[in-house]
Amino acid sequence: MSHATAEVTLTPEEQKARSELIAKAKPVDIPRPILVTGGKDFHWVTEKICGIVEGKTPLWWWILFLTAACMATFTLFGLTWLVSTGVGVWGLANPVNWGWAIVNFVFWIGIGHAGTLISAILCLLRQKWRTSINRAAEAMTIFAVVCAGIFPLFHVGRVWFAWWLFPLPNSNWIWPQFRSPLEWDVFAVSTYGTVSVLFWYMGMIPDLANLRDRAKVLWRKLFYGLFAMGWRNSNRHWRNYEMAYLLLAGLSTPLVLSVHTIVSFDFAASNLPGWHTTIFPPYFVAGAIFSGFGMVLTLMLPLRAVYGLHNLITQYHIDCMCKIILATGSMVGYAYAMEFFIAWYGGNPYEGFAFINRAFGQYAWAYWIMISCNVISPQLFWFKWVRENTWLVWIICGFVNVGMWFERFVITVTSLANDYLPSSWGYYSPTIVDIFTFFGTFGLFSVLFLLFVRFLPLMPMGELKAVMPAADAHGHGSGTQGQGVPHHDSEGGHH
Amino acid sequence: MSAEAVATSSAAAPATSRKNPAGIFLVVGIIGLAIGLGALVMGIQNNDSRLALSWLVGFTFWFSVLAGMLFLTQISYLFDAGWVVVVRRQMENCLAAFKWLWLLLIPVIALPLLMDNPGLVWRWMDLDAVVPGIHHTTVGNDVLYLHKAGLLNVPFLIGRLCIYALVTCGLAFLLRKNSFSSDLEINPKYYKNCRKISAVGIFLTAFTATFAVFDLLMSLSYHWFSTMYGVWFFALSMRLGIAATAVLCFHLSQQGRLKGLYNQSHAYFLGCLALAFTVFWAYISFSQYFLIYNANIPEETFWYNIRELNIDGSKSAWWYVSMGLIFGFFVIPFIALLWYPTKIKPWRFRTISCWIMFMGLIDIIFNVVPIQEPVDNILGFQVLPFLSPALLVDVAVVAGIGGICIWAALRSAAKQEPIPLHDPRVLESIHAAE
Repeated sequence: MSHATAEVTLTPEEQKARSELIAKAKPVDIPRPILVTGGKDFHWVTEKICGIVEGKTPLWWWILFLTAACMATFTLFGLTWLVSTGVGVWGLANPVNWGWAIVNFVFWIGIGHAGTLISAILCLLRQKWRTSINRAAEAMTIFAVVCAGIFPLFHVGRVWFAWWLFPLPNSNWIWPQFRSPLEWDVFAVSTYGTVSVLFWYMGMIPDLANLRDRAKVLWRKLFYGLFAMGWRNSNRHWRNYEMAYLLLAGLSTPLVLSVHTIVSFDFAASNLPGWHTTIFPPYFVAGAIFSGFGMVLTLMLPLRAVYGLHNLITQYHIDCMCKIILATGSMVGYAYAMEFFIAWYGGNPYEGFAFINRAFGQYAWAYWIMISCNVISPQLFWFKWVRENTWLVWIICGFVNVGMWFERFVITVTSLANDYLPSSWGYYSPTIVDIFTFFGTFGLFSVLFLLFVRFLPLMPMGELKAVMPAADAHGHGSGTQGQGVPHHDSEGGHH
Repeated sequence: MSAEAVATSSAAAPATSRKNPAGIFLVVGIIGLAIGLGALVMGIQNNDSRLALSWLVGFTFWFSVLAGMLFLTQISYLFDAGWVVVVRRQMENCLAAFKWLWLLLIPVIALPLLMDNPGLVWRWMDLDAVVPGIHHTTVGNDVLYLHKAGLLNVPFLIGRLCIYALVTCGLAFLLRKNSFSSDLEINPKYYKNCRKISAVGIFLTAFTATFAVFDLLMSLSYHWFSTMYGVWFFALSMRLGIAATAVLCFHLSQQGRLKGLYNQSHAYFLGCLALAFTVFWAYISFSQYFLIYNANIPEETFWYNIRELNIDGSKSAWWYVSMGLIFGFFVIPFIALLWYPTKIKPWRFRTISCWIMFMGLIDIIFNVVPIQEPVDNILGFQVLPFLSPALLVDVAVVAGIGGICIWAALRSAAKQEPIPLHDPRVLESIHAAE
């Protein structure tokens, strides 16, 4: 493909001037950060990532796994109680008929949307540092969607009729309400879940093949061999893989935006003060990225410490994620400010009350937790010393997770609890069943994530190697940001 | 700016030895502004809002372009992007126009006030003006105005506009100063300064652009409100900023300072950005429309209704404009930019960029012009029509303000190197590959 400027004819004088200008261009030395530090080679990466899967199961893993599994039973208990008794066991009561269920749904779906969004958007933006976190982020997405799906599924009441959400022909001639954003959620989330699984799984195929080839026991050979789908590291495989990966990234990005937009429509399409506000779609998407990075760091920092992944998840990676949390947290803050400003500017007394009530009413405590966690605490990431203190980063990310749950609580509950009719106002409190069900989802999420860590490759080895200094032996890309092409390692494979 | 004055490009010499295009743009600008000023005065004297709005259309168009470039410049610093360096210098030259742009807002604010027709453009400026659609109510008696009077009053508006000017000009000054200074001295501090300025500046720019567009556009119909409006303007400004940059770089690569420096990869990356923000604009515009349509609250829907219906319920010309925006400002650029050759073939990319700028102007007209005027009919108001001779005045003012902006940009460019010679990513940019 010819360059655009190839069509421009340069006179010899112009050519000379250009050459002189380019010769004068002497970039100041601010090298791009090295993405895999410690002077490691390709083999080290293979051993490090495969070692997590192939090594003996650590004791801490068993302890965490069993604890998480016990936690997950709380959800099982809560749901059993719910199904055997009825939705009345939740704290829902007029006027708050959407309580923790929708709050938890949006909380988990926000985290769920973020993983693929992070992975796909960073892929499209050619942010090479994504390689260390994208696999875990995508896994987090899928497990979070699983947790999210529980809440609306059981909120329908008679869960055995949940299939009515799909427009399947039935003898009662009952069709879903197509005009409801909740119905759109069904299609959006299920499509998104499918694409996310494909994106995650497809990205793992080369690494699964690597595990297959290294396997020493039969079940491993069979398990990884089955899911590696005959991957042989051929040039044609890699070409197809990269094209398919790019296509899925391209498809995922608008899909993710659409899904969280539709989740925002659950609220914004109504007429309720505090819900009906036009900024909700991008505000929800920014919030999802915010909470997603918060959760990625919450998960990855302990893994980094436990598995000694400091050369793969470097300070630069943490810096980048902290800065994105700062940016998206500020975007969320911008949205809060716009809501407040327009609630006043619009002159609608109900709208104005809804926001004053949020900040100073009966749920003010929740509102200020939200503001503190989502807007104020990320501002600490302006300071380099904060970003370089792993414990502080982890704690702030914990605040982000808490703050984003409270954001959904504030949106859902404050608007419903104090709506148009003061005589119907009430105070919502969750029941023990609500609490059990939500608490248990952290166990479920942790169980799935621990299984992922134990049995599947935590990072994409091929992509990691492509961004290593060793991949850029001739130094075209300053040996850092992966300008070079993937090389074959000492084992003869492009792992 | 001392750095501007000192740095004189050897590479700029061939360009400056030809006929000075800056002078031509200055003449075009003065002629366009003279026409616009005449129309503005005529509008004030004859109480014709449409003529006066042309000035606001022209200002908003170029404010969008420059705000988009300011956003993009800062974003590129924050991302530490490599490919963009060659392109960024051209945007930095354009940012020199900010100070002139803000000066050019003065006539549309000051003249109606000085010539005793304060409510001609922004009705709320005249407390005695009749509120369209509400019989026998003046702005001064309008409860919605009284609610907002603390914000919507002339002294405070002027104060806010000064702050907006200060923020945008200040950021432009600081970014340009550091970037141009880096040509004179190999020192990493300039690049680091730009990154720090951008980190703070991006937030300042976001709030400035948001409240500027609230003040200048949203308050034209001061009953109406939308939390999304600032985000809509961000999307629009990015589209126009990218399109203007693409046209400029194409021109410079064909005939000027970027010959042999601006390559296919730069065009491709700009094309990708143009595509992304085409989708983003559609997403934002649709979301705003859909949520207002779906909630169907009269306080919000009237803004779209006056852009759709005649008094008898039939479709007005504005409805066709809105359809034109859907197809012309979204569908056509979207499909065109999906196509790889559109992004890399110079004439195609230039054509689609010009088209985006043209449709951006239509979008601004769609947001500015259809204001309500009180008349004695069943609704109590009429909406300014789309088709009117004043469209020609719009064009004249766009050319006028544009002429001054381009003159300022070229003046800056003539004093600077065509590329930032010591930017840490300059070689990455010169040799950028897809």
